[in-house]
Amino acid sequence: MPTVIVIDVSLSMTRPVFIPETGETYNRQHLAVCGINVLLDYLAIHSKLEFVSLIAFSSLYEIVSPFTRDFDALKLKLQQLEEYDKTCIETALHGVNRLVLGEWGSTTPCQVVLVTDGSPGVGPMSLKYSLNTLNQRDASSPFPLPFSFPGKLSIICIASMDEPGLQLGLPLYHRLVELAGSDSAVLVPEGPLSMKSIQTMFQKLSEANFASFQGMLKCGNLGSQIILSPSPQPFCKSNDFESVKRSISDSIEVCGFIDVADVGSPMAISRHLVLPHPTGKVEGISAGVKVEVDSEDESVVDEGRIPSFCVLLHGALKVENMAALCLLAEDWFGFVYSWADSKKKSNLMLTILEPGSNVVPWLGDLNRLGSLDDFHSMNQEIEIEPSFPVRPLEKRSYSQNCVVWIRQAGLQSDIQKILRHARKLPEKTQQFYKELNRVRRAAISFGFIELLDGLAAIFERECTLLPGGAHPDCALQLTHAAGVLHKPYSRDVKQNITPLRTKFINND
Amino acid sequence: MTLCEKMYPSNHKTVFVLDHTPYFGISCECLIEFDFTKSRGPAFIPLAPISKSLWTCSVEAAIEYCRIVWDLFPQGKLIRFVVSDTTAHTLNTWSPSEQNLSHVLAELSTMGIPARTHQQGEFSVIHGLRAAIEALCECSDIQHEKRTSLTENASKVLNRCRVICITSARDNNSMKSLKEIFQNVLIQHNKIAAGSDHLITVHHCHLVIINVYPNNVESQVTSHPPRDLSAILTTEVHSVKAGGQIASKLSNLILNHYDLGSTTVTGIPMKEEQNASSSANYDVEIFHSSAAHTSILKGNAADSALIRTQREGADYETVTLKWCTPRGCSASEMQNCIAMHRITPVDVNSRPSSCLINFLLNGRSVMLEMPRKAGGKMISHLLAAHGGEIFVHTLVTARSVLEDPPSISEGCGGRVTDYRITDFGALMQNNKLVPLKRKFDDSDTETPLSRMRSRLDRHTRYWPITISSTFIFNLKNYIDPLPALLVKEEMTDEEVVQCKQVIYSLINLETKHEPLQMPNMGQRGKGPKREEQYRIMWSELETFLRANCRTDQHNRVLNCLLECRNKSDDEKIKLEKKDDKVELDQALRELDQFGKFSEASPSEYVPRASVIRATTDSPMSPPPMSITTPPSVPSRSSLLRSGPIAGGSIYSGPRTVLDIWISRTSAEQRSRDLRQEFAGRLNGEATAGGGSIAKLYPNLKDGDRGGREMHLDGDGADVIPPASASRLSTV
Repeated sequence: MPTVIVIDVSLSMTRPVFIPETGETYNRQHLAVCGINVLLDYLAIHSKLEFVSLIAFSSLYEIVSPFTRDFDALKLKLQQLEEYDKTCIETALHGVNRLVLGEWGSTTPCQVVLVTDGSPGVGPMSLKYSLNTLNQRDASSPFPLPFSFPGKLSIICIASMDEPGLQLGLPLYHRLVELAGSDSAVLVPEGPLSMKSIQTMFQKLSEANFASFQGMLKCGNLGSQIILSPSPQPFCKSNDFESVKRSISDSIEVCGFIDVADVGSPMAISRHLVLPHPTGKVEGISAGVKVEVDSEDESVVDEGRIPSFCVLLHGALKVENMAALCLLAEDWFGFVYSWADSKKKSNLMLTILEPGSNVVPWLGDLNRLGSLDDFHSMNQEIEIEPSFPVRPLEKRSYSQNCVVWIRQAGLQSDIQKILRHARKLPEKTQQFYKELNRVRRAAISFGFIELLDGLAAIFERECTLLPGGAHPDCALQLTHAAGVLHKPYSRDVKQNITPLRTKFINND
Repeated sequence: MTLCEKMYPSNHKTVFVLDHTPYFGISCECLIEFDFTKSRGPAFIPLAPISKSLWTCSVEAAIEYCRIVWDLFPQGKLIRFVVSDTTAHTLNTWSPSEQNLSHVLAELSTMGIPARTHQQGEFSVIHGLRAAIEALCECSDIQHEKRTSLTENASKVLNRCRVICITSARDNNSMKSLKEIFQNVLIQHNKIAAGSDHLITVHHCHLVIINVYPNNVESQVTSHPPRDLSAILTTEVHSVKAGGQIASKLSNLILNHYDLGSTTVTGIPMKEEQNASSSANYDVEIFHSSAAHTSILKGNAADSALIRTQREGADYETVTLKWCTPRGCSASEMQNCIAMHRITPVDVNSRPSSCLINFLLNGRSVMLEMPRKAGGKMISHLLAAHGGEIFVHTLVTARSVLEDPPSISEGCGGRVTDYRITDFGALMQNNKLVPLKRKFDDSDTETPLSRMRSRLDRHTRYWPITISSTFIFNLKNYIDPLPALLVKEEMTDEEVVQCKQVIYSLINLETKHEPLQMPNMGQRGKGPKREEQYRIMWSELETFLRANCRTDQHNRVLNCLLECRNKSDDEKIKLEKKDDKVELDQALRELDQFGKFSEASPSEYVPRASVIRATTDSPMSPPPMSITTPPSVPSRSSLLRSGPIAGGSIYSGPRTVLDIWISRTSAEQRSRDLRQEFAGRLNGEATAGGGSIAKLYPNLKDGDRGGREMHLDGDGADVIPPASASRLSTV
């Protein structure tokens, strides 16, 4: 999950802080940088694939570093920050929206860490002013919260709880995180300001928001410790009649396999790399006799050389071009498959579906998937083996030749079709009456009785226009159809107009 | 949109009230040129044009509304029809079985055209509105389910709904009184519903009145946008000409009612009927949930301005995306799809629409691309049919956070090269999922998928993941079909016999001293020696059988193996200790025996694990615990410590003190192996002291036997003839 670190570089951040333990004096910006370094160090260990960007703001904002995985470069940039004028949080948040939308679009969840000093600014650009004018925005420039992407805001105050400035700012910050939603929070260091209290606060933030997902990928008795990158986020959604908030369990269990072509790119709420966990000592839960690594070997063990179920699964999925259906939590599924980005590096990928077992219409109820053996053991009688896709009980309008006459062209083409068949009688007798009855039924449903008389008139006229070489059956069937259309019983939808029995169509 | 509007949307229940009074029988005065045949000569008299009635115009517009809704939302979006003349005719219920076009059309055909003259009874649309409110107070299936559920939200179910009334009013005053009557009836019925157990009060109703008039007159009724008449009623009025305008008004409203978006697929290449060699480009407009556009419209404002245009002849926007059929990018791969929605063509019967639809229904897919202001374009959507339904898949257009990932070969286990990939591929094919519908009873507690999980559990009970950590699975030509049969939930007698035959034939091979050929391991240099091969094979096979011992039938296979393998031990014990003592003694002796192998039977230094078990256990007894030596079923914890995954090879084996001792002595033994063991040593009768007595020159007794045959006899004492083995196992 990409992270934007937004650091306050207003003048108030340069206020000195005397640290009694060491007798040294720092300014708040030093403390902030030191805290951010704790976060970057944490990411370097636990989430190497994370993208982090750095924005500095005062009354304006500046993108100090675009999204990067080079945490050392970020640290260097932090050292070079300068001081500017006053705090304006709203501007900074607009900047965050613009940066994230431009880079990741509106669907990638991101974290925003806002580091400030607890004084929310003064005057017309202050936070207080921003919040007071919340309802006076026009649609073209709305308040930047909630973010235009799934975002979580953490506001970090480099201020101790007993500062009067913070007492003013805190309610405003709480209002901000409330607007941001998604478990956003305000963090204040415990106890007096010091290097240590700041570091502890950032460590807490890191552990709460940036911990990597560690779990187990299992297939029967085989399995492997894994990390998911990026970490899956809790799923929140309000559907018709329900509001859902769930997280996946740490055990991902393979339930069976499906050809990738049958899976057919269903909608995913997120995708994650499945990486075998390097410290996963308990990898093989499966059986096996034999192997015991000599104790001396264990210390110099090469992780790449310890067999991992993930690699086996990946290889087989790739060779067979299949995906593994996985159970992520109760009634929540995903697919694991081999994925390669444009370069040739292929990897194991987890696609998380929406919670529920009926989320991919063409796969049917996922809980109702089973093995062919189960199918055969249940079906004594010979029946066609089931296969994907699962078809809905009802056809959609576009696949069932429905009648729409809203535009004149629709009616015209239906009538022309009948006339085309009429000219090719008797070969097209079946088609002629089929189309005629289809149009007639629709006319009755729509109460469009004028059309029936109109059709009769067209048929009668068509008789008179038949060329000399026309088949005699043409005239006979057209006259017959026109006659029936005039009769009252042709207004009954249950009655069908049937062909006139002539010597041309009845060989018996 | 508030949370409550999201959870209880107004579009869950909609009632169409169609005016069927005599007024609706009049012509809409919009003539349809009926004579499409091209004029053929001077004698040609054109046919009189025809015209639809107001009734036909309203019915077909309402039906089109339903067509779109039910195409896009097969479930959960319910629509009912009430036809109003002298009384209200309710055409369908909230039941899903009556929520489809064919049902509604069939019911409509029984209504017929509006009566021409005033007969007895009072013709009015009020009857229909009253019936509509009654219908709204009935629970839909899901409302009933949620209300009767025992969760805290049960009482919070909000009944928000919509009534679309197509009628004709004289002027604004009569329209106003119509709305007031509706409001009063609504309040009345809410009172009734509040006092009833099975009815639900209407919490909010959206009344949409379409005022219809023939094309040749001016209406006195003015349109107005939605206005809250009260907390529970919002009304809006649209005054439209019957001929052509009802349908376009409704298809504008439907976008709002169901939060739909319009996409125009442009540049669809189509062959001309007349000129098949050239192709022209066509556009097709489709409707789908507006969420399909979110990701592209929310991004770069300049880009989205480029693709949004006002739809011709309508007051909504459409997003124009270009047809594109790139190579190497199809629906049969896992695309990075963040949303998918059903689509339906706006003009379902037009030639370009049906062309696109058939292209998709035939299994091909279409990518849609959007141009970018900065130049270039990107693929933003995928149109594809699945099981006869067409979906638009929204693809990720932004940068991916998974950019430049490490390859799996760089991670843990990435440098191991001998994974059993082919075998796991076979396991996957064997555990392929298929849809099992309707055969399983819903009351069944075990779903097919949970059966599948236990099936996978069975199939992986013993499954070493690398080639070097297994021996038996590299010996497919010897042990098939035993592994496949043994992972079954139940085994038939016939399958047990098949498995036993595999064991016998292995015993037979061992007897013949034939080395086991391993096709997979040819390149790995020389494998283990023959005796070692058999030792490893038997112990691994036993492990496999023990891991899969789930029924008596499975047990029979395991017992067969144990009995066969211990036969030779048994015989030796009998030879060494003629006096057959109680089993306890035997156990002690067994321990002793290990030390004596070198003397008693130098060619047999393999530890025999289960002498006692094999001779005393009945097939009915549970799988025994391994107490003495490996091979045994590894307990879970021991596996965690020393699973095959740990990287070593099968051939290094867990070493017990016994193993070490045996291997120490084995060098000595092997040197002795080079020569034939003395017949006397093999055939001698054991004495109490541990030695043995053999007769010299036994051949002298049977005078007619040659020395060569005697030699064979001596060899034979060491082996179990397959025939006797099978006798044993069937005891």
